[in-house]
Amino acid sequence: MNIVVLTKPVPDPAAAAEKLGPDNRLDRAASPAVINGNDEYTLEAALQIADGHPGEVEITLLAMAPAGGAETLRKGLAMGATRGVLVTDPALAGSDAWSTAKVLAAALGTLEFDLVLAGFDSSDGVGGVVGAAVATLLKLPYLSSAAKVEPDLAGKTVRVQRISATGFDVLEAPMPALVVGTQLLGTPRYPSLKGIMGARSKEVAQRSLADLGLTTDGADAVGGGAARTTVTAKRTPPARGAARVVRGPAAEAAKELAAFLAERRLV
Amino acid sequence: MAGFWVVAETNADGTLAKSSTELATLARALAEQAGGSIAVSGVVVAAKPDVAAAELATYVPSVVAVAEPLAAEHAWAQLAAERVAEVIDRDGPTLVLTGAGPDGRDVAGTLLALLDGAVLVNATSVTWQDGESVEMSVFGGKLITTSAFADGANLRIVTVRPNVTTAAPAASPGKVESRAAGATPTLPAVKIVDRVAASGAAVSIDDARVIVAGGRGVGSPEGFELVQQLADRLGGAVGATRAAVDAGWIPYAQQIGQTGKIVKPQLYLALGISGAIQHKVGMQTAGTIVAVNRDPDAPIAEFADMLVVGDLVEVGTALLEELGPKR
Amino acid sequence: MPNASDASRSTSVQYRLTEEQQLLRETLRELADERIAPRAAEIDRTGEFPEDIRQLLAQHDVLALPFPAEYGGIGADLLTQCIAIEEIARACVTSSLILSVQGLGSLALVLAGTDEQKQRLIPDLASGAKLIAFGLTEPEAGSDAGATRTRAVRDGDDYIIDGGKRFITNGSVADIVTVFAVTDPDARTSKRLSCFAVEVPTKGFSVVRLEHKLGIRGSPTAELSFERMRVPARNRIGDEGDGWKLAMDTFDRSRPGIAAQAVGIAQGALDASVAYARDRKQFGQRIGDFQMVQAMLADMAARTEAARQLTYKACAEIDAGTPDRARWASMAKLVAGDTAMAVTTDAVQVFGGYGYTDDFPVERMMRDAKITQLYEGTQQIQRLVIARSLLGRGG
Repeated sequence: MNIVVLTKPVPDPAAAAEKLGPDNRLDRAASPAVINGNDEYTLEAALQIADGHPGEVEITLLAMAPAGGAETLRKGLAMGATRGVLVTDPALAGSDAWSTAKVLAAALGTLEFDLVLAGFDSSDGVGGVVGAAVATLLKLPYLSSAAKVEPDLAGKTVRVQRISATGFDVLEAPMPALVVGTQLLGTPRYPSLKGIMGARSKEVAQRSLADLGLTTDGADAVGGGAARTTVTAKRTPPARGAARVVRGPAAEAAKELAAFLAERRLV
Repeated sequence: MAGFWVVAETNADGTLAKSSTELATLARALAEQAGGSIAVSGVVVAAKPDVAAAELATYVPSVVAVAEPLAAEHAWAQLAAERVAEVIDRDGPTLVLTGAGPDGRDVAGTLLALLDGAVLVNATSVTWQDGESVEMSVFGGKLITTSAFADGANLRIVTVRPNVTTAAPAASPGKVESRAAGATPTLPAVKIVDRVAASGAAVSIDDARVIVAGGRGVGSPEGFELVQQLADRLGGAVGATRAAVDAGWIPYAQQIGQTGKIVKPQLYLALGISGAIQHKVGMQTAGTIVAVNRDPDAPIAEFADMLVVGDLVEVGTALLEELGPKR
Repeated sequence: MPNASDASRSTSVQYRLTEEQQLLRETLRELADERIAPRAAEIDRTGEFPEDIRQLLAQHDVLALPFPAEYGGIGADLLTQCIAIEEIARACVTSSLILSVQGLGSLALVLAGTDEQKQRLIPDLASGAKLIAFGLTEPEAGSDAGATRTRAVRDGDDYIIDGGKRFITNGSVADIVTVFAVTDPDARTSKRLSCFAVEVPTKGFSVVRLEHKLGIRGSPTAELSFERMRVPARNRIGDEGDGWKLAMDTFDRSRPGIAAQAVGIAQGALDASVAYARDRKQFGQRIGDFQMVQAMLADMAARTEAARQLTYKACAEIDAGTPDRARWASMAKLVAGDTAMAVTTDAVQVFGGYGYTDDFPVERMMRDAKITQLYEGTQQIQRLVIARSLLGRGG
């Protein structure tokens, strides 16, 4: 069984150093890149499927990223993915969601897969629309908000528990299919040390736009130059004032807190 | 502009989702800002769309109600997106508003691909300044960006956060046009083989005016009883940090933060929550933030309006006493 | 005799951390912060060997680091092993000993074992299913390892071992104890000893007592007794008389590990102190704004980094096969051990009265640091090793 995990390098949220450059595009040099947090959950789901079917599952990490993106794939390879595919091209810098979906769909067209897994959203874009767009372009059954993914390798179907307002719905579809996951898929494992030491010997193939038959001009143009949205302005939000600190015995603190809430008409 | 469209979502019981009433109100406001001659319409796709369509019509002048029988037992969003694509008039630039929650994003992503469109996501504000002007909060709240669509982008999609607009019905109700679903959908319909009800919160945190949230400091599922009591007394909902959800003390539906929900209540009362960035991004735009924490140096002190230093059980119990029974 | 100027010539051996080493460091740091650090105070308080941490390390292949890949290990170089020890020690020294003692105890086997012995013994050690300890020290043979009395006498296909060992780290939880015993009492010191992999439990082997120590309390330090203990000859590592050399060769590669441990301890103490200096307010400002506190923190940081760089360089030299292995290993251990002691003592100072209580980790770090000046050769022994390397052995 072949699983492709869509992944994206993002500025490390823990470094808190993200910024936009003077062209209002993400300044990728300003911040160390890590694998998007939500992608670790979907990778973990893929690894659990592989654990459950030893020797039968191969996991490919697919990312559209700048040239250095192979590094962030390293952790995923160390966690246990089989190989990586990196679509990289300078023209892709500043791509919008539509371009991204088109590129990923084209790349998936060159790979064999039973299941494509995508993270809930990325910590830099927080959009969560690319998965649906890719599934639509490839006409794959689309199962989203997954708390559990259970493929049936023999029957070539997949069952997903989809979070709903009232609990969850159990969805079923034939494979190949595309599933968008959530954090409920399970805590991502630490890469094992054997995995870390062995990651270097795993293949990371690179693809350019030309390799995928994509173009940067015309109606189907992809890449930053063809972006259909632009950032026109940016500002920092107003800082909140300093907190009023209340100490002392609980009863008195509670009085002060209640008065504060009443002042603001919140009780 | 050929028109503004609102893709409505419905609740499990078939009624109109609150977020859709906000979208509808926003669409009207945008149309006014844009000069008043742009058609504003809503579309409801459901197995039985009539109830929701009727309610949506109190917000926008025109509603298309598409009865899609497949929606009864199949995953909704892609079905809905295909029907929306059939309905919307494509004679010029078209703006489509969807919610930014899981269903809304699914519709947005599907439309993006079906109609070769453009999308701006997670809007915290949408106004008309010679075209759509969309704000969003990025980098964990450090920055607010304003974005626009490039010229030539004809199918413009914006996913909009809840609580960005206050819903207000139109002066006079609009009309509902019913349509049957068209031909078999081109996208594969995904079957729902079972529905499982899980005990969830009585009040959803998505729209709550007040949220009382518990973190690691609450310590146990029993500890959340106090959180619930405070939420009840203040007329709000119970929220939680990821630590509390991971510990199994409270369901994921109530998780607030980077991997949970982003909320904007008028009051956010944080009990035993340190205020780490992953949680902060979920609630930092709340109107008033009050934290109760034993640690005076907890990061939450940097963005709260009030920090009560103390034990959350003692302070919480004392607060309940101080407030007295709900009137 | 080495040329007097050889010793001070700087070599061209450099190290550069590879991506793997960086990813390993990040992974272990996260693991240590999330799973080990929260246990450290409790391990120290209860003095219980942390079996859960041992499982955790085994599960994450940490214990495979010192062993060749063909026997189930990772075959990591010395620098990589040291980075691992450093990151764990930063959170909990007792936990770091699980890794460092696994290396210490098995070096003789890895260096001189036969293929049959390695096939038989290493896989379980690499997987962490079994632990191994290093049994050299005796009541009368500490710094003076040549005064070893434990005796091994050949009897058919076995050796019969009588005697005992003291201060054996993890000696009561090990499944194999690498025991050094006298096989030729009439030979000169460097030929008197042989080395045995004693698989326990076995008849005649007993743990007499465990020490009550100042620090590394979760690591059981055992006194062992051997009474007509029978060990098969196929468990003798190397030839008869190779024991002394194996012990010294072991130290050349294990002392950098102790240096790394000491660097980790210092780093942990430094990190705690910097965080405290940022938060703690007195006289209306944070104590980190006072110059005397700043001076301490600055010295702590500079010394820790210096100890780290020397340790990494020593690893690079040893991995590159330098003939001056012993000197590099001893220099690293000497400097790092003294650094850990100084930095942790200053850390308690930065914390003031609070640093003296167990509400904060620095008093434990200070107690733990002391052992790095004592075991695997006291600081005084390290100085002798270094001086001999510089001067050549005298008469």
